[in-house]
Amino acid sequence: MNIEFISDPQDWKEENMDVAVISGYILPDDLDSLQKIQNNSKRIFAYGDCTTTGGIFALANQRGHQVTPLKDLISNITNVNGCLGEIEELIAVINGEELQGNNPLCSVCKRKATCDYLDSVNRQIEIDDEETCFNDLGFLCNGFIAKKCKERCIDFNTPCRGCKPMVERSGIRMLGMFGTLMGNIEMATEHSEKGATDKLADADDDLTESLPDILGNFFRFTLLTSGLPRGRIQSSGNLLQDVFTGRLIEELPLITGLLGGNRSISLTLKLIETYEKANNIEVSTQTKKYRNELLSLEADLIEATNNKDAQKYKATTDKIRKIAGNMNLSNVYFGGFKQIIDDDVDFESYKSHIFEIVEGTYKNGSINYNIDPKGVIKEITIKEG
Amino acid sequence: MSECEVIDEEIKEKIQNIVVFMCNECGQGSANTAGVARMAYEPAIRIVRVQCTGQIGPIQIMDALNNGADAVACVGCCIGACHFFNGNLLSMHRIKLMKKLFKELGYSDQFVNQYTSRAAEGETAVGDFEDIVERLATAIKEEGTIKDGC
Repeated sequence: MNIEFISDPQDWKEENMDVAVISGYILPDDLDSLQKIQNNSKRIFAYGDCTTTGGIFALANQRGHQVTPLKDLISNITNVNGCLGEIEELIAVINGEELQGNNPLCSVCKRKATCDYLDSVNRQIEIDDEETCFNDLGFLCNGFIAKKCKERCIDFNTPCRGCKPMVERSGIRMLGMFGTLMGNIEMATEHSEKGATDKLADADDDLTESLPDILGNFFRFTLLTSGLPRGRIQSSGNLLQDVFTGRLIEELPLITGLLGGNRSISLTLKLIETYEKANNIEVSTQTKKYRNELLSLEADLIEATNNKDAQKYKATTDKIRKIAGNMNLSNVYFGGFKQIIDDDVDFESYKSHIFEIVEGTYKNGSINYNIDPKGVIKEITIKEG
Repeated sequence: MSECEVIDEEIKEKIQNIVVFMCNECGQGSANTAGVARMAYEPAIRIVRVQCTGQIGPIQIMDALNNGADAVACVGCCIGACHFFNGNLLSMHRIKLMKKLFKELGYSDQFVNQYTSRAAEGETAVGDFEDIVERLATAIKEEGTIKDGC
């Protein structure tokens, strides 16, 4: 079996393939390259959320970009969802096996849900409670609509964002579900002059204040397949910056960890450290040690990719998983880590904690961002990666 | 419909279908009362009767909008007067989040709304319809229709 890695399909010399696996986000300009691949291959697989549904990069469509799911451009493809996509599933579908049935994520979650109405929405939670459902704590988790997965962010005190949806239009369904859960939260009404009765008010109220970024929280991976109209907000011109603008500060590590590529670990840590430094959030020496380990593992990962060394790649990802929880870096957070990494080291010495959201401009040379009082990213510039 | 006459003809043409989900109790009740009293209302209003507005959520709203509706509204019982338990409040919570979502995407938040009415008073329902059309016309004038971006 011969596996070839094509990073620049425009310069690719056409040759016949049995199987083509496409990953990464797609723009309408890629149509020519995609047709070239389609003409030369017997079977095509879309691997990962970026390709199947637009993934995290589709959030830029809020600002008028045109990230497109692969199935809108070429036909006869097989989708392997997930962020990250699961290599086991990809191998299985290439071998012609059917993927296992729908196993909801909640069935493997150790937390238990009661679905009582919420009195408030919490954007960060104490990590000591490991039995109550995130949603019951007022901490939005998309697990209700998600399939069982390999990365399992929920095991690292991180709520699910629904990268492997189990139902059609999962974001919209989850919005309805969470909106219902928010039933006890104060909502503004106003008197309607014409109808002489009350109506739902347009003004901001506790409901809208408690979810400053509905799009990023509910539609992080499924914006393009949920039937919402294309966003019309002014773009900054840069796709990556548009993905981040409008997101919440506490969600940033979750998003940068998902970006993939060679630099996602250093980018995540840089974002976190910039914030920590500006707000005097103290970090223990143990935390620093683990972070430095992650950075050196990232260098190893790049080397393994360049050398096409599969074994080293796997060994390195295993080590990253041990510290960061999964390849989405769910365990990494402001102030430390969310879950025990090493039983021999006292967890208290590197535990992350709830931080205050402080308005202001954060600068670190390569990454500069500006957040408003609600913790929403207003502007961001990223100079590398 | 004196309010609608001030609307530019062009905008009026763009308002063809407004799907209004009315609950079986107060909402539909007031529409029936209005019908008995032969009150006129905007022809663009398309009433869909539901048991309770609590049945309406983001899925039904997006289905209507994606299938040609210019706007969607719910008309339910008055606050605290839901004939079941609190269906009208729950749908208001969901619709409020939908409004916020439209704003985040750069659209007007007037494409979805929720009203209340009283079964014994037909004019409450007709007044709500007038308000829906007026708000939608203003929104289209200022920010364009929802189809401009689909």
